[in-house]
Amino acid sequence: MSATDPRAPEPLHPVARELAPPRGGLRSYPPVERWDDWEEYDPAAWPRKVTRRYALIPTICFNCEAACGLLAYVDKQTLGIQKFEGNPAHPGSRGRNCAKGPATLNQVNDPERIRYPLRRVGPRGGGQWERVSWDEALDDVSRRIRTALVEGRHKEIMYHLGRPGHELVYLQRVFHAWGIDGHNSHTNVCSSSARAGYAFWHGMDRPSPDHANARFILLLSSHLETGHYFNPHAQRIIEAKERGARVCVIDSRLSNTASMADWWLAPWPGSESALLLAMASVLVRERLYDREFVRRWVNWEEYVRAERPDLPVSFEAFEQALGELYARYTPEFAENESGVPAATLVEVARTIGSAGSALATHVWRNAAAGNLGGWQVARALELIVVLMGAVATPGGTAPSAWNKAVPAPPLMPPPAKVWSELLMPREYPLAFFEMSYLLPHFLKEGRGKLAVYFTRVYNPVWTNPDGMSWIEVLTDPEKIELHACLTPIWSETAWFADYVLPMGHASERHDLMSQETHAARWIGFRQPVLRVMLERQGKTFDLTWQAHEAAGLGQVWEEDEFWIELSWRIDPDGSLGVRKYFESPDRPGQKLRIEELYRWIFEHSVPGLPEAAAKEGLTPLAYMRKYGAFLVEDQVYHTHEQPLSADELHGAQVDPVTKVVVKGGQAVGLEVDGVPRLGFPTPSRRLEFFSRTLKEWKWPEQAVPSYIRSHVHWSKIDRAKGEMVLLPTFRLPTLIHTRSGNAKWLYEISHTNPLWLHPEDAARLAVVTGDLLKVTTAIGYFVDRVWATEAIRPGVIACSHHLGRWRLHRDAGGERWSTALVDLQQVERGKWRMRQREGVRPFASDDPDSARIWWTEAGVHQNLTFPVQPDPLSGQHCWHQKVTVAKAGADDRYGDIVVDTNKSFEVYREWLTLARPAPGPGNLRRPLWLPRPFTPDPSAYSLGGSAGVE
Amino acid sequence: MRYGFVIDQRRCIGCHACTVACKEENQVPLGAFRTWVKYVERGTFPNTRRSFAVLRCNHCDRAPCVTICPTVALYRRPDGIVDFDGDRCIGCKSCMQACPYDALYIDPNTRTAAKCHYCAHRVEVGLEPACVIVCPEQAIVAGDLDDPGSRIARLVAREPVQVRKAEQGTRPKVYYLGADAGALVPQLQSTTDRYLWAERPEGELDLVRMVAAVQEDQGDGALSRPVYDVPHLPRPWGRKVSAYLWAKSIAAGPLLIASVAVLGGGAPSGGLFGIAAPALALLFLLATTALLVLDLKRPERFHYILFKANYRSSLVWGAWILIAYGGVAALWLASVLAGAGELVRFLALPALVLAGASAGYSAFLFGQAEGRDFWQSSLLLPQLLVAALVAGAASLLIVGFVSGADLRGLWTLSMVMAVALLLQGLVLTAELLVPHASLDAARAAALITRGEWKTPFWGGVIAAGTALPIVLVWPTPYSAALGGALALAGLWIYEDLWVKAGQSVPLS
Repeated sequence: MSATDPRAPEPLHPVARELAPPRGGLRSYPPVERWDDWEEYDPAAWPRKVTRRYALIPTICFNCEAACGLLAYVDKQTLGIQKFEGNPAHPGSRGRNCAKGPATLNQVNDPERIRYPLRRVGPRGGGQWERVSWDEALDDVSRRIRTALVEGRHKEIMYHLGRPGHELVYLQRVFHAWGIDGHNSHTNVCSSSARAGYAFWHGMDRPSPDHANARFILLLSSHLETGHYFNPHAQRIIEAKERGARVCVIDSRLSNTASMADWWLAPWPGSESALLLAMASVLVRERLYDREFVRRWVNWEEYVRAERPDLPVSFEAFEQALGELYARYTPEFAENESGVPAATLVEVARTIGSAGSALATHVWRNAAAGNLGGWQVARALELIVVLMGAVATPGGTAPSAWNKAVPAPPLMPPPAKVWSELLMPREYPLAFFEMSYLLPHFLKEGRGKLAVYFTRVYNPVWTNPDGMSWIEVLTDPEKIELHACLTPIWSETAWFADYVLPMGHASERHDLMSQETHAARWIGFRQPVLRVMLERQGKTFDLTWQAHEAAGLGQVWEEDEFWIELSWRIDPDGSLGVRKYFESPDRPGQKLRIEELYRWIFEHSVPGLPEAAAKEGLTPLAYMRKYGAFLVEDQVYHTHEQPLSADELHGAQVDPVTKVVVKGGQAVGLEVDGVPRLGFPTPSRRLEFFSRTLKEWKWPEQAVPSYIRSHVHWSKIDRAKGEMVLLPTFRLPTLIHTRSGNAKWLYEISHTNPLWLHPEDAARLAVVTGDLLKVTTAIGYFVDRVWATEAIRPGVIACSHHLGRWRLHRDAGGERWSTALVDLQQVERGKWRMRQREGVRPFASDDPDSARIWWTEAGVHQNLTFPVQPDPLSGQHCWHQKVTVAKAGADDRYGDIVVDTNKSFEVYREWLTLARPAPGPGNLRRPLWLPRPFTPDPSAYSLGGSAGVE
Repeated sequence: MRYGFVIDQRRCIGCHACTVACKEENQVPLGAFRTWVKYVERGTFPNTRRSFAVLRCNHCDRAPCVTICPTVALYRRPDGIVDFDGDRCIGCKSCMQACPYDALYIDPNTRTAAKCHYCAHRVEVGLEPACVIVCPEQAIVAGDLDDPGSRIARLVAREPVQVRKAEQGTRPKVYYLGADAGALVPQLQSTTDRYLWAERPEGELDLVRMVAAVQEDQGDGALSRPVYDVPHLPRPWGRKVSAYLWAKSIAAGPLLIASVAVLGGGAPSGGLFGIAAPALALLFLLATTALLVLDLKRPERFHYILFKANYRSSLVWGAWILIAYGGVAALWLASVLAGAGELVRFLALPALVLAGASAGYSAFLFGQAEGRDFWQSSLLLPQLLVAALVAGAASLLIVGFVSGADLRGLWTLSMVMAVALLLQGLVLTAELLVPHASLDAARAAALITRGEWKTPFWGGVIAAGTALPIVLVWPTPYSAALGGALALAGLWIYEDLWVKAGQSVPLS
């Protein structure tokens, strides 16, 4: 319709009258050739046309783990970041983001953020701080580390991180250079069980579904709203769905993902592997599986030889054995265990059977992380994938490592010959990985102490179960002599640090990222966009914090450079053998500059990048600075089928029985039907239906995919006594653990974590939505509101783990957008009581929005009341809680927490007795083949005397 | 060329990326939203489903916000985008009443109205809106509906689409694919006082409780349960607007009666009609104007109504009418005071017309407030005229009583008031009790007749403010003056309830 169209009245506004004739279609992003100098109209001045000039500099989101691309619009005049959009050059996220991507702007502009290094004054946790220089902080910390190294106390240095960037390589380089075994992660409160389940199948510890090409998608996850890797996966799941793929979601709670699915199966928590094995059983019984694939790639011979000596070693005999093994997992049995109707389960299984090898599946946390034996959920899920021959096929599910690109840095130090039992204690030889959340108990038991403990963008006090025990050890300088917290923002843990060292957000740091988002391999480059901008303008900086200071951000730094500086100061003269790894590859003897590191990596370690850059007349580093991402390989399928090259076969031998190709003592491949192929990185080089490792390491009854009744199985819950199962782990689409409390736009959308309760249970408890419930665990209780909903299985309650942040001081120690002000008291030894003094309130700051906060609640911190519940095999903290639920009493208030850490220590000791400790065969601490980050020298694996610090 | 949106709810995963990207792009403050995602749930376990709806400005081809905006701060561009110009906005909030889709808010930084404007500043440099490019699922499609080759035009041509509130006649240009009626249609939803991961602001909770109380089915028969929504500013118009209506009745009424009397051959220069009537008119016009200006978020821009006027807006016509009426009233008073009372005979007809127009133009203004079904009543004009008569007679009676005027004159006024009150009773009965065509209007009426405000209505408006004054007319002129005071009080209560009730039913 034009201005003169009779359907529209004549526009009266001058702008509308003068509007230029419309052009053609709209484009999504500014053209790349104009990213250096892009003009746009100021949205605040519009419809006045005030032109603003931007440089568009790519970086990588730092919120969840997906590593999606961002494009920072840096205002050329003000040096402020106007906005973050998606980066269309990024192969994983393809220019699109979830809500957390644009919310990065809140994090950058957060008036509450920490801008300068701080040192504690007074007692730890007392809340008194003084500003120090980076030099002072580095000198103190490096001196302590140097002393520990010189005195042979290598195990007393520990680095505990939440969100990995490319640390697994970068930090391995740092810590192996120091000669320590000090990397601690959040993995065991997150994904250990799923990792174990996958690793025992194919030696790699994650799934990489090719959702885009799937015909059936089976999820024990909520990838249309959260998780590894939400945005990239959600895009591809919906693409497949639009093309006709069917989606089944198994979740006791109705997630948004389950809402979008063709089938929502809501089992009793802890019965998921029964459900999956019953589906597998249908596939086996009805011969819907891919026999040829199973024959070629599953270690059935090993199984028949070891477990069925009564049968001949033939595939037909294996099929018979398989049928017998899973005959008891009938649909009716699964219905009885899970509550999911047998007919539905058969219908889903048959639909899976008709999808062939285009079966994409995922489990990461959910049931695997919730339940004792949850690792068998992943084993059972992967059994279905293997039966369907859907491993690394188009539309199938590949092992993660094949869909990742991990470029090597220059000069890797040799592995350290140290094994830290504070990280990997002998009780858990098969754990994935560090028993991080048991650290307070280990320290209390006197298993060791820490000279220097780093936490990095990690908040164990809040995130881990039994946070009060963390506070107890963090406030004990005998157990932790120095705690340095590397963080952009205040957190419950930072409050108990000696140094709070401000590190940058997504647009303020270097990192090299790669994630298995789909059937491809890519790298993404996170970069400090303000420094890049200033350097483009001709200014130079030694260190990123200096650029940030010049841009008005304060002395916010980045870890990459921090580790170089720290390492340099640990070994200034090179006598410890540390310094040489931090010298420039270009300027011998000089300190490595961060740009040199990435230049070297991009020039030497990324296949195809130098050529792609040359085509545009750029250096590889300039290419990455410009595009922020590079697709190393697309359409990655059937990696295990790769024939071994003549080079690889040179000097190799084939084991006549197992057909494993061995070269130099290492298994490098597998001969399948006479052809030597790559296979899988397992001892048999096959998909291990039967795990000899599990059998030999004291778990013979779990050596094949099977069903372990969880610690919260319905048979252990007495509803008549008010007992229920609490699912405390689900994420919300808008938040990310404790990293998003500084994002006002996200908290405005979601700020409470009520207890999801079925109306039937609400009626039994005589409560309605909004009423208070008291939820009692083995070590204490918390008080939260009711959300009565048909979106949860009766008998089960659920509570998102995202909310419930708190701070102890009115004006410091926590983001006021998202924390409640609390009183925390230790009423007697080990008996802690927390009460909210007030919820979220408007506050005055540079940002006028802080005075407009309209929400009042910050949620309830349930994790404080959970005892540690380590799975004896995977080491996973089993999150689901058996709880007693009752209407709150007159003295109970919203947000109340009561915990007894004496009891939590008792629960820890109870679960410890379930473990089956090392040594295993060969007197080892852990099977040598099993993945472990920062893998130490093989000598450190041995319990036979010679291991240890040399 | 007509830009529009297709929102494909078959693809939408309810992730709120559009919400946040929009806030970032357009620097939208906390508490306000240009686009948002509503969640509803249906069914019982395990046959439960959650559905999403992305809601925003519909860029209507017949945009009521553009019509009502007095200063052309809102305007439809030739390419179909409904844009706004904060520099022209006076903050009268009438657009928020005109929009049936809850799309507008007052930006606390500029104190002017704002909403989704299709990222017109991006379109101008050839870029799609921010919500379109962020969406992980490409569930938001932007483009030219008039270009048959465009993706959006093909979708609208080939797929079954829905729009929100088609019955409003706004010709919305946001088309939904695969949306759940339970999410798009607020009338199908039950009420809730909190959401699955968010609170509702206190101001909303009052409305929720009130509306829930008058829902016949208490929400049990509702199709869906809302489980997430963003906060919406409840009731943009408050007491200043109801006071404006009330004051305007008193401004219009006395000269309405006086001019009829003069035209009927009465003495023009008598005390009540010669001086009190124009003086009341001027005094209460001043109050009316002051209330109007004070209710603006940008009162210093009041003059924009005159100098940046949208002649399609009843608010503009109202301003001119009030000015003209003030002029006539001033001449009337001046003539009498100057001893040239005979001139009033020439002023009587214009005064009659302008007094009626002053009282009645609000019917057209509230009629343009198309978002509020309750206000879309053909009885509004008679009600306003009757209210002016009641207010005129009552205020003159009171002045007469206070100034000790001729009792016979007051008797006539008393009778006028009694008749006007009788009419008022009839009009209000018809307005509130005759079945309403729309559910929203019926709910608003129910709030007054049998809900939250039944006591002030039946006790205050009908009994004390209408029936009792009629009875009080007979004993003495003094009691009639007392009745006049009661009638004015009743009128005030009614205007307050009427303005509140109209804004109490949720729009989205």
